[in-house]
Amino acid sequence: MDITYLANVEHPVQLGYLIAIYFFYTGLSAGSFVLSTLGTVFGIQKYKPIAKAAVVMAIALLAVAPLHLIADLEQPGRFYTLFFRLNPTSAISYGTYLLTLYPLTCVFYLWFMMRKDLALGAQKLTGFRRSLCAFLTFGKRDLSEAVLVQDQKWIKRLGTLGVPLALMVHGYTGFILANVQARTLWHTGLMPLIFLMSAMVSGTGLLILVLLITQRFFSPEKAITPERRAIILDIARLMMWFIVVDGVLMLINFIVLYFGNASGYAAAEMLLHGSHKVSFLGLEIGIGLVLPFLITFWSKTRKSLTMVSLASLFTLIGVIAMRINFVIGGQQVPLSGNTFNPYYAEPKHLIFIGSFALLEVIILYLAFKFLPIYGIEESKKSSTLKMTTPTKAVSAP
Amino acid sequence: MTESTIRYGIVIDLRKCVGCNACTVSCKIEYNVPDGKYRTWVKEIEKGSYPEVIRHRLPRLCNHCDNAPCEKACPVQATYRGENGEILIDYNRCIGCKYCMAACPYDARFVNPVRKTAEKCTFCFHRTQAGLLPACVTTCVGGARVFGDLNDPNSLVSRLIANNPVQVLKPEMNTKPTVYYIGADQALMGADYTSLTKGGK
Repeated sequence: MDITYLANVEHPVQLGYLIAIYFFYTGLSAGSFVLSTLGTVFGIQKYKPIAKAAVVMAIALLAVAPLHLIADLEQPGRFYTLFFRLNPTSAISYGTYLLTLYPLTCVFYLWFMMRKDLALGAQKLTGFRRSLCAFLTFGKRDLSEAVLVQDQKWIKRLGTLGVPLALMVHGYTGFILANVQARTLWHTGLMPLIFLMSAMVSGTGLLILVLLITQRFFSPEKAITPERRAIILDIARLMMWFIVVDGVLMLINFIVLYFGNASGYAAAEMLLHGSHKVSFLGLEIGIGLVLPFLITFWSKTRKSLTMVSLASLFTLIGVIAMRINFVIGGQQVPLSGNTFNPYYAEPKHLIFIGSFALLEVIILYLAFKFLPIYGIEESKKSSTLKMTTPTKAVSAP
Repeated sequence: MTESTIRYGIVIDLRKCVGCNACTVSCKIEYNVPDGKYRTWVKEIEKGSYPEVIRHRLPRLCNHCDNAPCEKACPVQATYRGENGEILIDYNRCIGCKYCMAACPYDARFVNPVRKTAEKCTFCFHRTQAGLLPACVTTCVGGARVFGDLNDPNSLVSRLIANNPVQVLKPEMNTKPTVYYIGADQALMGADYTSLTKGGK
């Protein structure tokens, strides 16, 4: 039957790039936090050296992430009302509390991990870094064995609290989408899991890049020592498995989407053949999952830091594309019309995204530059190794 | 607030709708709705090809669902249920997060670019409070729009629903709309994906 549309009203996409990028930031934060707890909570000793850097990253990302949400509000001045006008059925409403509790837990967790270094820094460093360290110890400079053991207990407690919070902070963003029955692409029980897994992928990706850059330029050794190299390659191995799980979840989601109702089928077709084809097949799947998987899987490339950092960069691109495909693509599938809903990106929003990204880089730079994240002095073992080890050295496992 | 026994609803008898858009215009005037935005509008399609051809119309507005996804989605309780069952928005509370717009299966909401909050049909709350009918109902040329109390079995809306085969939009969403249609064609009651699933635009 021929159907010709004579009159209908256009319903443009409402939640745009700012929301997609917000999901990207929280994902990065949750991912890097979970990696930080591998050593401190789950007791895998080899990951302990990255715990501090990972949690600094988690805090820095979560400090910037909510700015995207506030910038997206039509009434940004009213954002604080979210704290006292609770609606228990709204994912955004309880997310507000998660977004507050989680970074606070992270900050305390980091403080207990850093206290020893801060106290040492207050004694041994000079200039601004010395005053900063002295201030940040808040007078707690006792380095006796008993106090350090107590610190470790607190690290474990706060980390144990932080893991479910990190998962919930990112899980809730999945619920924001999954709870909306109207949008088929969103309305799936897999959505929180897909979001969590892509968070792990991108969190690992960015952590690798941050570790490479900061260890090279801001650590006392100013080098990627063989031990650090081994850890980075190890994390890259983890990333490969996260990619596998993420890819499998995505595949399952797609298969079920294809067997779904008319709008689910339309959403699947849109991603495979339609306007999101390049962004989905090319960026999200090709660059975001397949290429990094191959790099971290193939024995010839997975040992090279250049290739691994390239893979990490690819996962970031892929996960950004994934957030955009789901957030914007999900709303483009029409609810009452016969064409895809258009999305008009506001230039103001793009400027916000750029400024927030810049702010993020500045925060990370300042944190790694001034805080004694990698200790305050060169460890003797690594400084000797640095001189003798050629850059191509292949490390153990 | 005392519990009211009134539950407002609308029956739109499409056998009487001529597609004149008087409802669209009167609503725009009543609320000074900004350009390009609509609280109510009339969707119109042509089905078939000459000489076997017919036009179908579907006046659209907020369904004031009994189980409203927008009310559940609102993080600051700006969307609330009025005493007569209508879904209303507190414009002083709305933070403009637009989550309600994503949650509404009926595209009923929009951002008012002047007031910078969510906005939609209120069943003409200020008019019903004053004992008047909604603007779109008073203006309807063919008398297609009928407004009344769904809880009163003797009201015209209740009798129309009882005596006619009626439809609501997307009943599978479990939203329980209170806007009923008589004689709605299925081709325009939801989205049409035919041109989208062949690798369309």
